[in-house]
Amino acid sequence: MASHRVGETGLSDSGPSNHHVPYSLFHGINAPSTSFINQEGSAFDFGELEEAIVLQGVKIRNDEAKAPLFTGRPAATLEMFPSWPTRFQTTPRVGSSKSGGESTDSGSAVNTLSSKADQAQLEPESPISKKASSSDHQAFDQKHLKLQQQQIHQEMATGPSHNQSSVKAPQEKRKGAGSTSEKQLDAKTLRRLAQNREAARKSRLRKKAYVQQLESSRIKLTQLEQDLQRARAQGLFLGGCVGAGSNLSPGAAIFDMEYARWLEDDHRLMSELRTGLHAHLSDGDLRLIIDGYVSHYDEIFQLKVVAAKSDVFHLYTGMWITPAERCFMWIGGFRPSELIKMLIGQLDPLTEQQVIGIYNLQHTSTQAEEALSQGLEQLQQALVDTIAGVPIVDGMQQMAVALSKLANLEGFVRQADNLRQQTLHQLRRILTVRQAARCFLVIGEYYGRLRALSSLWASRPRESMMSEDNSCQTTTELQIVQQHSQNHFSSY
Amino acid sequence: MHYQAAEYSWGYYMPAVRSMASDPLERVLRVASESAVVIFSVSSCCMCHAVKRLFCGMGVNPTVFELDQDPRGKEIERALMRLLGNSPGTVPVVFIGGKLIGAMDRVMASHINGTLVPLLKEAGALWL
Repeated sequence: MASHRVGETGLSDSGPSNHHVPYSLFHGINAPSTSFINQEGSAFDFGELEEAIVLQGVKIRNDEAKAPLFTGRPAATLEMFPSWPTRFQTTPRVGSSKSGGESTDSGSAVNTLSSKADQAQLEPESPISKKASSSDHQAFDQKHLKLQQQQIHQEMATGPSHNQSSVKAPQEKRKGAGSTSEKQLDAKTLRRLAQNREAARKSRLRKKAYVQQLESSRIKLTQLEQDLQRARAQGLFLGGCVGAGSNLSPGAAIFDMEYARWLEDDHRLMSELRTGLHAHLSDGDLRLIIDGYVSHYDEIFQLKVVAAKSDVFHLYTGMWITPAERCFMWIGGFRPSELIKMLIGQLDPLTEQQVIGIYNLQHTSTQAEEALSQGLEQLQQALVDTIAGVPIVDGMQQMAVALSKLANLEGFVRQADNLRQQTLHQLRRILTVRQAARCFLVIGEYYGRLRALSSLWASRPRESMMSEDNSCQTTTELQIVQQHSQNHFSSY
Repeated sequence: MHYQAAEYSWGYYMPAVRSMASDPLERVLRVASESAVVIFSVSSCCMCHAVKRLFCGMGVNPTVFELDQDPRGKEIERALMRLLGNSPGTVPVVFIGGKLIGAMDRVMASHINGTLVPLLKEAGALWL
């Protein structure tokens, strides 16, 4: 069969060929198809495809009489490639005129199209394939299509008779006999083709813009994720205050974050203290570490001053500390006299003067605590009197008075923190360097254990059917706590 | 026409001193020097109540000057503010032995670090 023959020839020259396809005819068909594909490269679009289909349809219409060379049709996609040589044998070629005015490269591209358009001969296939492979897989671009369009119009205008123009590439000799053939396209079809090309171009541009947008969004997203992870790592720990996230005021949320960071620093400084103590550093070096630890405490008191201004209730109700710590809370923090009482047994050996100093400290802190507590009691009483009283003029005035009284709470929390800070400083003054190091370690350990107690309590198994089981579980928990505390005590 | 400002202290009533001095600061210092421990206070202030309780708890008998019960209390308050420098709430202000100690935080700090009791003993407010 002619096509078969041509196919083989075409195959030898064309680039990628589908050897695996069983149809011998298919080969013939495919050669220009592949060349068409090669030509398209990555910018294959449907505008040209449709054009090709239409052109093919035109030829089919023209070729009604001509039976298809083969009964079966190849894969559906290949139907779109109008390069069925036999079909177009009788179609007059438009051929050379189309390529008028084009450069060599585009000319070859155009010629491929025109070749598929008329496909008068089978012979052209090999030179066409040649051209296709020689062209650098150039994609069709606007200019080519427009020029092609122009050529088509030109063709229509000037009529069917054309010869190979000199503008045509030398490779176009393939046209050979019957180089001029008429494209039987009407104006409507041409307009539609043009519109399709235009639409295809627009969709290409849109797709490009969309992809670019997607890429930039992706980059932004990864950056945001990194920032979020960094922020999380820096400590959005709510610690024991789980579930408080939604109803925290900004000042409270900020303070919680800063407190979490302070706890981390505390842990780090305590390790430093511990290693310093066990490494038997000189007193001078140890003093530096201890002074750093005291400044660390000053830091949290300063943070609390700021927090008291923005959200005193957050501090006063103890929402910033764990439940177990909250049990022993006094006006928004630890009770200094209780801390001294806890420390008394742990600071041995002490000189007599130191013992007197410690007991004096306990005494004065107790007195100060009493005074502040009584002042706070008076504040509460005044509030109760204000709110419970009959509103004289209007409720708003009553509320205003109550508000101004409530504002005094900040002063009490500040004075309580001041008392705590002064107590720690006085401890530092009374004790020697090594004693102070042990003392601060004990304090840190103590509150660490309270915090651990809180989390153990929160995670304890709740129900059991038997009361014996309950007590057993409690015992187990106590054992765990004991073991934990023993580990810590052993460091002294 | 002058009127008397009643000056109460815990335990006894002190007749008002009719002062011709118009300078409030002078008046402050004069009042402060007349007793071992003088607290400038406002009757409704809870922190003032706290500082009063502190001294009483130590066995001290402070003289209290209630600003809201003195007709020239505002001037004295302003003078106290100038004395202290800053003022988050002016009162209470404490004088011991005629010397300015300061506001509540200074009083607490001096009590904790052990300097308050010697001062009180020195001023004769404490004999134990």
